[in-house]
Amino acid sequence: MIVPFALMIGLFMLFLDLKHKLWFWQLYTTVRYESPMSWGAWVLMAITPLSILWAASYIRELYPKWNWKFSILKKLEKWVIANRKLIAWPMGVLGVILGIYTGILLSAFNARPLWNTSILGPLFLVSGMSTGAASIMLMSKDHKERKIIGRIDILLIVIELFFIVHLLMGFLAGSEVQISAANLFLGGKFTAPFFAFVVILGLIFPAILEAMELKGFKVPVLIPAALILIGGLIFRFLMVEAGQITRYLY
Amino acid sequence: MKKIKKDGSTYLNPYLGGFMLGVVLLLTFYISGRGLGASGAVKNTVAAAVNTVAPQHVENNAYYCQFAGGDKKPLSNWLVYEVLGVLAGAFLSGILFNRLKLKVEHSPKITSRRRLLFALAGGLLFGFGTQMARGCTSGAALSGMAVLSFGGYITMIAIFGTAFVAAWVFRKNWI
Repeated sequence: MIVPFALMIGLFMLFLDLKHKLWFWQLYTTVRYESPMSWGAWVLMAITPLSILWAASYIRELYPKWNWKFSILKKLEKWVIANRKLIAWPMGVLGVILGIYTGILLSAFNARPLWNTSILGPLFLVSGMSTGAASIMLMSKDHKERKIIGRIDILLIVIELFFIVHLLMGFLAGSEVQISAANLFLGGKFTAPFFAFVVILGLIFPAILEAMELKGFKVPVLIPAALILIGGLIFRFLMVEAGQITRYLY
Repeated sequence: MKKIKKDGSTYLNPYLGGFMLGVVLLLTFYISGRGLGASGAVKNTVAAAVNTVAPQHVENNAYYCQFAGGDKKPLSNWLVYEVLGVLAGAFLSGILFNRLKLKVEHSPKITSRRRLLFALAGGLLFGFGTQMARGCTSGAALSGMAVLSFGGYITMIAIFGTAFVAAWVFRKNWI
Protein backbone atom coordinates (compact mmCIF):
# COMPACT_ATOMS: atom_id res chain seq x y z
CA MET A 1 0.00 0.00 0.00
CA ILE A 2 2.94 2.29 0.66
CA VAL A 3 4.79 1.60 -2.58
CA PRO A 4 2.69 3.72 -4.97
CA PHE A 5 2.87 6.67 -2.59
CA ALA A 6 6.60 6.24 -2.05
CA LEU A 7 7.06 6.09 -5.82
CA MET A 8 4.97 9.19 -6.34
CA ILE A 9 6.77 11.17 -3.64
CA GLY A 10 10.09 10.04 -5.12
CA LEU A 11 8.99 11.05 -8.60
CA PHE A 12 7.83 14.41 -7.35
CA MET A 13 11.21 14.94 -5.66
CA LEU A 14 12.94 14.05 -8.93
CA PHE A 15 10.70 16.56 -10.67
CA LEU A 16 11.60 19.26 -8.14
CA ASP A 17 15.24 18.50 -8.76
CA LEU A 18 14.93 19.27 -12.47
CA LYS A 19 16.17 22.56 -13.75
CA HIS A 20 13.65 22.88 -16.56
CA LYS A 21 10.62 21.52 -14.80
CA LEU A 22 8.15 22.21 -17.55
CA TRP A 23 10.18 20.23 -20.03
CA PHE A 24 10.11 16.97 -18.09
CA TRP A 25 7.67 15.47 -20.59
CA GLN A 26 10.39 15.59 -23.23
CA LEU A 27 11.92 12.56 -21.50
CA TYR A 28 8.96 10.70 -22.87
CA THR A 29 9.36 11.80 -26.46
CA THR A 30 12.36 9.60 -27.01
CA VAL A 31 13.65 6.15 -26.17
CA ARG A 32 17.38 5.86 -25.84
CA TYR A 33 18.77 2.46 -24.95
CA GLU A 34 22.17 3.88 -24.14
CA SER A 35 20.85 6.40 -21.61
CA PRO A 36 20.20 5.24 -18.04
CA MET A 37 18.07 8.33 -17.55
CA SER A 38 15.78 7.27 -20.36
CA TRP A 39 15.56 3.76 -18.91
CA GLY A 40 14.68 5.15 -15.51
CA ALA A 41 12.07 7.52 -16.86
CA TRP A 42 10.34 4.82 -18.88
CA VAL A 43 10.51 2.19 -16.16
CA LEU A 44 9.01 4.63 -13.68
CA MET A 45 6.32 5.43 -16.21
CA ALA A 46 5.43 1.74 -16.42
CA ILE A 47 5.88 0.63 -12.83
CA THR A 48 3.95 3.43 -11.15
CA PRO A 49 0.53 2.60 -12.66
CA LEU A 50 1.23 -1.12 -12.21
CA SER A 51 1.97 -0.63 -8.52
CA ILE A 52 -1.14 1.50 -8.13
CA LEU A 53 -3.19 -1.30 -9.71
CA TRP A 54 -1.53 -3.85 -7.47
CA ALA A 55 -2.13 -1.89 -4.29
CA ALA A 56 -5.69 -1.02 -5.29
CA SER A 57 -6.53 -4.68 -5.75
CA TYR A 58 -5.77 -5.21 -2.05
CA ILE A 59 -7.76 -2.26 -0.72
CA ARG A 60 -10.91 -4.30 -0.20
CA GLU A 61 -8.97 -6.92 1.71
CA LEU A 62 -7.83 -4.22 4.14
CA TYR A 63 -11.07 -2.24 4.23
CA PRO A 64 -13.94 -4.67 3.53
CA LYS A 65 -16.44 -1.82 3.40
CA TRP A 66 -14.64 -0.10 0.54
CA ASN A 67 -16.84 0.50 -2.51
CA TRP A 68 -15.34 1.15 -5.94
CA LYS A 69 -18.60 2.90 -7.00
CA PHE A 70 -18.15 2.52 -10.79
CA SER A 71 -18.78 -0.83 -12.40
CA ILE A 72 -15.78 -0.46 -14.67
CA LEU A 73 -13.51 -0.16 -11.63
CA LYS A 74 -15.12 -3.22 -10.10
CA LYS A 75 -14.49 -5.14 -13.30
CA LEU A 76 -10.91 -3.95 -13.38
CA GLU A 77 -10.38 -5.04 -9.80
CA LYS A 78 -11.75 -8.47 -10.59
CA TRP A 79 -9.44 -8.79 -13.56
CA VAL A 80 -6.40 -7.69 -11.55
CA ILE A 81 -7.15 -10.13 -8.75
CA ALA A 82 -7.54 -12.93 -11.28
CA ASN A 83 -4.31 -12.01 -13.07
CA ARG A 84 -2.03 -11.06 -10.20
CA LYS A 85 0.76 -13.31 -11.41
CA LEU A 86 0.64 -11.67 -14.79
CA ILE A 87 1.21 -8.29 -13.15
CA ALA A 88 3.73 -9.51 -10.60
CA TRP A 89 6.21 -10.69 -13.24
CA PRO A 90 6.66 -7.41 -15.11
CA MET A 91 6.61 -5.58 -11.78
CA GLY A 92 9.45 -7.76 -10.51
CA VAL A 93 11.53 -7.25 -13.64
CA LEU A 94 10.82 -3.52 -13.73
CA GLY A 95 11.60 -3.31 -10.01
CA VAL A 96 15.05 -4.77 -10.63
CA ILE A 97 15.68 -2.28 -13.45
CA LEU A 98 14.43 0.54 -11.26
CA GLY A 99 16.69 -0.54 -8.41
CA ILE A 100 19.75 -0.84 -10.60
CA TYR A 101 19.28 2.21 -12.80
CA THR A 102 20.22 4.80 -10.16
CA GLY A 103 23.57 3.10 -9.69
CA ILE A 104 24.11 2.80 -13.43
CA LEU A 105 23.08 6.42 -13.86
CA LEU A 106 25.77 7.47 -11.41
CA SER A 107 28.31 5.11 -12.93
CA ALA A 108 27.70 6.77 -16.31
CA PHE A 109 29.31 9.93 -14.98
CA ASN A 110 32.73 9.15 -16.33
CA ALA A 111 34.20 12.35 -14.89
CA ARG A 112 33.54 11.12 -11.35
CA PRO A 113 35.99 8.30 -10.55
CA LEU A 114 34.09 7.16 -7.45
CA TRP A 115 30.91 6.61 -9.44
CA ASN A 116 32.52 5.47 -12.64
CA THR A 117 32.50 1.78 -11.81
CA SER A 118 30.22 -0.93 -13.11
CA ILE A 119 29.79 -2.41 -9.64
CA LEU A 120 27.78 0.59 -8.47
CA GLY A 121 24.60 -0.59 -10.21
CA PRO A 122 24.47 -4.03 -8.58
CA LEU A 123 25.59 -2.50 -5.28
CA PHE A 124 22.72 -0.02 -5.29
CA LEU A 125 20.32 -2.77 -6.33
CA VAL A 126 21.35 -5.07 -3.48
CA SER A 127 21.31 -2.21 -0.98
CA GLY A 128 17.84 -1.25 -2.22
CA MET A 129 16.64 -4.86 -1.93
CA SER A 130 18.06 -5.14 1.55
CA THR A 131 16.36 -1.95 2.73
CA GLY A 132 13.19 -3.16 1.03
CA ALA A 133 13.41 -6.43 2.95
CA ALA A 134 13.94 -4.41 6.11
CA SER A 135 10.78 -2.41 5.53
CA ILE A 136 8.82 -5.62 4.91
CA MET A 137 10.13 -7.00 8.20
CA LEU A 138 9.12 -3.78 9.89
CA MET A 139 5.56 -3.93 8.63
CA SER A 140 4.89 -7.64 8.50
CA LYS A 141 2.73 -9.10 11.22
CA ASP A 142 3.36 -12.65 10.17
CA HIS A 143 6.17 -14.23 12.16
CA LYS A 144 6.92 -16.80 9.47
CA GLU A 145 7.13 -14.16 6.76
CA ARG A 146 9.49 -12.10 8.92
CA LYS A 147 11.73 -15.08 9.41
CA ILE A 148 11.98 -15.84 5.70
CA ILE A 149 12.61 -12.21 4.81
CA GLY A 150 15.19 -11.98 7.61
CA ARG A 151 17.01 -14.96 6.15
CA ILE A 152 16.96 -13.41 2.69
CA ASP A 153 18.15 -10.14 4.16
CA ILE A 154 21.21 -11.73 5.74
CA LEU A 155 22.14 -13.09 2.33
CA LEU A 156 21.61 -9.66 0.76
CA ILE A 157 23.78 -8.03 3.40
CA VAL A 158 26.57 -10.52 2.77
CA ILE A 159 26.36 -9.83 -0.96
CA GLU A 160 26.36 -6.09 -0.30
CA LEU A 161 29.45 -6.35 1.90
CA PHE A 162 31.11 -8.40 -0.81
CA PHE A 163 30.27 -5.70 -3.37
CA ILE A 164 31.61 -2.95 -1.11
CA VAL A 165 34.88 -4.81 -0.62
CA HIS A 166 35.01 -5.40 -4.35
CA LEU A 167 34.29 -1.77 -5.10
CA LEU A 168 37.18 -0.62 -2.94
CA MET A 169 39.48 -3.35 -4.24
CA GLY A 170 38.64 -2.39 -7.80
CA PHE A 171 39.47 1.23 -7.10
CA LEU A 172 42.74 0.36 -5.41
CA ALA A 173 43.75 -1.65 -8.47
CA GLY A 174 42.92 1.28 -10.71
CA SER A 175 44.49 4.55 -11.70
CA GLU A 176 45.68 7.26 -9.34
CA VAL A 177 42.34 9.13 -9.34
CA GLN A 178 40.49 5.94 -8.50
CA ILE A 179 42.90 5.18 -5.69
CA SER A 180 42.34 8.62 -4.25
CA ALA A 181 38.57 8.07 -4.59
CA ALA A 182 38.86 4.86 -2.57
CA ASN A 183 41.06 6.63 -0.05
CA LEU A 184 38.15 8.91 0.83
CA PHE A 185 36.73 5.80 2.51
CA LEU A 186 40.02 4.24 3.57
CA GLY A 187 41.49 6.84 5.86
CA GLY A 188 40.02 9.95 4.29
CA LYS A 189 37.18 12.23 5.18
CA PHE A 190 34.36 9.69 4.91
CA THR A 191 36.09 6.77 6.62
CA ALA A 192 34.53 7.04 10.08
CA PRO A 193 30.91 7.66 9.04
CA PHE A 194 31.15 5.08 6.27
CA PHE A 195 32.52 2.26 8.38
CA ALA A 196 30.63 3.15 11.57
CA PHE A 197 27.18 3.86 10.15
CA VAL A 198 27.09 1.93 6.90
CA VAL A 199 29.36 -1.08 7.29
CA ILE A 200 29.11 -1.80 11.03
CA LEU A 201 25.83 -0.35 12.30
CA GLY A 202 24.02 -0.56 8.95
CA LEU A 203 25.14 -3.99 7.74
CA ILE A 204 27.20 -6.19 10.06
CA PHE A 205 25.40 -5.43 13.32
CA PRO A 206 21.86 -5.90 11.95
CA ALA A 207 23.02 -9.08 10.20
CA ILE A 208 24.29 -10.39 13.56
CA LEU A 209 20.96 -9.47 15.18
CA GLU A 210 19.01 -11.19 12.43
CA ALA A 211 21.20 -14.27 12.70
CA MET A 212 20.65 -14.31 16.46
CA GLU A 213 16.92 -14.11 15.93
CA LEU A 214 17.09 -17.12 13.64
CA LYS A 215 19.04 -18.91 16.37
CA GLY A 216 16.11 -18.39 18.72
CA PHE A 217 17.09 -15.28 20.67
CA LYS A 218 14.38 -12.69 21.14
CA VAL A 219 15.26 -9.61 19.09
CA PRO A 220 12.77 -6.79 18.56
CA VAL A 221 12.47 -6.58 14.78
CA LEU A 222 12.41 -2.80 14.85
CA ILE A 223 16.10 -2.48 15.71
CA PRO A 224 17.78 -4.40 12.86
CA ALA A 225 15.22 -3.13 10.35
CA ALA A 226 15.63 0.50 11.39
CA LEU A 227 19.43 0.16 11.39
CA ILE A 228 19.40 -1.27 7.87
CA LEU A 229 17.10 1.50 6.64
CA ILE A 230 19.20 4.25 8.22
CA GLY A 231 22.42 2.61 7.03
CA GLY A 232 21.07 2.35 3.48
CA LEU A 233 20.10 6.01 3.50
CA ILE A 234 23.47 7.13 4.87
CA PHE A 235 25.21 4.94 2.30
CA ARG A 236 23.45 6.76 -0.54
CA PHE A 237 24.14 10.15 0.98
CA LEU A 238 27.83 9.32 1.39
CA MET A 239 28.20 7.88 -2.10
CA VAL A 240 26.52 10.89 -3.72
CA GLU A 241 28.41 13.35 -1.53
CA ALA A 242 31.81 11.67 -1.89
CA GLY A 243 31.36 11.12 -5.61
CA GLN A 244 31.09 14.83 -6.23
CA ILE A 245 34.44 15.39 -4.56
CA THR A 246 36.29 12.95 -6.79
CA ARG A 247 37.34 14.07 -10.24
CA TYR A 248 39.90 13.46 -12.95
CA LEU A 249 41.44 16.89 -13.20
CA TYR A 250 42.78 18.72 -10.20
CA MET B 1 29.48 -18.58 35.79
CA LYS B 2 25.98 -17.41 35.07
CA LYS B 3 23.51 -16.38 37.71
CA ILE B 4 19.96 -17.14 36.64
CA LYS B 5 17.22 -14.94 38.05
CA LYS B 6 13.57 -15.78 38.45
CA ASP B 7 12.44 -14.28 35.17
CA GLY B 8 14.96 -16.31 33.16
CA SER B 9 17.41 -13.45 32.80
CA THR B 10 21.05 -14.07 33.57
CA TYR B 11 23.98 -11.97 34.69
CA LEU B 12 27.65 -12.37 34.05
CA ASN B 13 29.94 -13.01 36.97
CA PRO B 14 30.94 -9.49 38.15
CA TYR B 15 34.62 -10.43 38.50
CA LEU B 16 34.67 -11.78 34.97
CA GLY B 17 32.85 -8.63 33.84
CA GLY B 18 35.47 -6.44 35.51
CA PHE B 19 38.26 -8.43 33.92
CA MET B 20 36.62 -8.06 30.52
CA LEU B 21 36.27 -4.32 31.05
CA GLY B 22 40.00 -4.19 31.71
CA VAL B 23 40.67 -6.09 28.50
CA VAL B 24 38.42 -3.65 26.65
CA LEU B 25 40.41 -0.75 28.08
CA LEU B 26 43.67 -2.35 27.02
CA LEU B 27 42.32 -3.00 23.53
CA THR B 28 41.06 0.57 23.33
CA PHE B 29 44.53 1.93 24.01
CA TYR B 30 45.96 -0.47 21.48
CA ILE B 31 43.43 0.19 18.69
CA SER B 32 42.51 3.83 19.06
CA GLY B 33 45.54 5.17 20.90
CA ARG B 34 43.17 6.78 23.39
CA GLY B 35 41.38 5.71 26.51
CA LEU B 36 37.72 5.01 27.07
CA GLY B 37 35.27 7.79 27.77
CA ALA B 38 31.60 8.48 28.06
CA SER B 39 30.98 12.03 29.22
CA GLY B 40 33.12 13.35 26.39
CA ALA B 41 30.72 11.91 23.84
CA VAL B 42 27.75 13.57 25.55
CA LYS B 43 29.66 16.81 25.81
CA ASN B 44 30.58 16.82 22.13
CA THR B 45 27.06 15.89 21.09
CA VAL B 46 25.66 18.74 23.16
CA ALA B 47 28.23 21.12 21.69
CA ALA B 48 27.35 19.98 18.16
CA ALA B 49 23.63 20.39 18.84
CA VAL B 50 24.10 23.87 20.28
CA ASN B 51 26.33 24.77 17.35
CA THR B 52 23.60 23.74 14.92
CA VAL B 53 20.81 25.59 16.69
CA ALA B 54 22.66 28.67 17.95
CA PRO B 55 26.13 29.05 16.42
CA GLN B 56 26.31 32.61 17.71
CA HIS B 57 25.98 31.39 21.27
CA VAL B 58 28.82 28.90 20.76
CA GLU B 59 31.14 31.63 19.56
CA ASN B 60 30.45 33.80 22.55
CA ASN B 61 30.84 30.97 25.00
CA ALA B 62 34.35 30.13 26.12
CA TYR B 63 33.37 26.60 27.15
CA TYR B 64 31.69 25.59 23.88
CA CYS B 65 34.45 27.27 21.88
CA GLN B 66 36.84 24.53 22.94
CA PHE B 67 34.88 21.88 21.04
CA ALA B 68 32.61 23.50 18.46
CA GLY B 69 32.36 26.50 16.21
CA GLY B 70 34.68 27.49 13.39
CA ASP B 71 36.26 24.52 11.67
CA LYS B 72 35.90 22.20 14.65
CA LYS B 73 33.83 19.09 14.16
CA PRO B 74 32.65 17.95 17.58
CA LEU B 75 30.88 14.84 16.27
CA SER B 76 33.93 13.63 14.43
CA ASN B 77 35.41 12.29 17.61
CA TRP B 78 36.44 8.83 18.69
CA LEU B 79 34.33 9.01 21.86
CA VAL B 80 31.11 9.66 19.94
CA TYR B 81 31.67 6.54 17.86
CA GLU B 82 32.75 4.59 20.91
CA VAL B 83 29.52 5.39 22.72
CA LEU B 84 27.51 4.26 19.68
CA GLY B 85 29.43 1.00 19.91
CA VAL B 86 28.68 0.79 23.63
CA LEU B 87 24.96 1.12 22.87
CA ALA B 88 25.17 -1.60 20.23
CA GLY B 89 27.20 -3.86 22.53
CA ALA B 90 24.82 -3.32 25.45
CA PHE B 91 21.93 -4.21 23.18
CA LEU B 92 23.69 -7.39 22.10
CA SER B 93 24.43 -8.34 25.71
CA GLY B 94 20.77 -7.72 26.59
CA ILE B 95 19.75 -10.18 23.91
CA LEU B 96 22.36 -12.76 24.90
CA PHE B 97 21.40 -12.68 28.58
CA ASN B 98 17.67 -12.49 27.97
CA ARG B 99 17.28 -9.11 29.63
CA LEU B 100 16.00 -7.07 26.72
CA LYS B 101 12.92 -5.41 28.15
CA LEU B 102 11.68 -1.88 28.51
CA LYS B 103 11.46 -1.40 32.24
CA VAL B 104 12.50 0.89 35.06
CA GLU B 105 14.50 -0.93 37.68
CA HIS B 106 13.69 0.36 41.14
CA SER B 107 13.09 -0.76 44.66
CA PRO B 108 9.54 -1.97 45.33
CA LYS B 109 9.26 0.76 47.95
CA ILE B 110 9.42 3.66 45.54
CA THR B 111 7.64 4.53 42.31
CA SER B 112 9.17 4.50 38.84
CA ARG B 113 8.65 8.25 38.70
CA ARG B 114 10.68 8.82 41.82
CA ARG B 115 13.42 6.55 40.53
CA LEU B 116 13.56 8.38 37.20
CA LEU B 117 13.60 11.81 38.85
CA PHE B 118 16.44 10.81 41.15
CA ALA B 119 18.32 9.27 38.26
CA LEU B 120 17.91 12.47 36.26
CA ALA B 121 19.04 14.64 39.17
CA GLY B 122 22.01 12.36 39.81
CA GLY B 123 22.90 12.34 36.14
CA LEU B 124 22.80 16.14 35.95
CA LEU B 125 25.03 16.48 39.01
CA PHE B 126 27.41 13.87 37.68
CA GLY B 127 27.56 15.53 34.27
CA PHE B 128 28.35 18.85 35.90
CA GLY B 129 30.99 17.21 38.06
CA THR B 130 32.67 15.48 35.14
CA GLN B 131 33.12 18.79 33.37
CA MET B 132 34.72 20.32 36.48
CA ALA B 133 36.96 17.27 36.89
CA ARG B 134 37.67 16.94 33.15
CA GLY B 135 36.34 13.43 32.88
CA CYS B 136 34.02 10.78 34.22
CA THR B 137 34.50 7.33 35.69
CA SER B 138 35.70 5.88 32.42
CA GLY B 139 37.48 8.88 30.93
CA ALA B 140 39.30 10.19 34.02
CA ALA B 141 39.29 7.37 36.57
CA LEU B 142 39.60 4.17 34.49
CA SER B 143 41.68 5.46 31.62
CA GLY B 144 43.64 7.74 33.94
CA MET B 145 44.50 4.97 36.39
CA ALA B 146 45.47 2.68 33.52
CA VAL B 147 48.25 5.09 32.61
CA LEU B 148 49.12 5.59 36.30
CA SER B 149 47.96 9.18 36.28
CA PHE B 150 47.65 10.59 39.78
CA GLY B 151 44.49 12.47 38.78
CA GLY B 152 42.90 9.17 37.84
CA TYR B 153 43.35 7.81 41.37
CA ILE B 154 41.99 10.99 42.93
CA THR B 155 38.97 10.91 40.61
CA MET B 156 38.31 7.28 41.49
CA ILE B 157 38.52 7.97 45.22
CA ALA B 158 36.35 11.08 44.90
CA ILE B 159 33.66 9.41 42.79
CA PHE B 160 33.38 6.23 44.83
CA GLY B 161 33.95 7.95 48.16
CA THR B 162 31.18 10.44 47.47
CA ALA B 163 28.98 7.66 46.14
CA PHE B 164 29.48 5.74 49.40
CA VAL B 165 28.31 8.67 51.49
CA ALA B 166 25.50 9.63 49.11
CA ALA B 167 24.28 6.05 48.99
CA TRP B 168 23.89 6.05 52.77
CA VAL B 169 21.94 9.33 52.66
CA PHE B 170 19.60 8.08 49.95
CA ARG B 171 19.46 4.45 51.11
CA LYS B 172 15.72 4.65 51.77
CA ASN B 173 15.24 4.73 48.01
CA TRP B 174 16.56 1.20 47.74
CA ILE B 175 16.20 -0.68 51.02
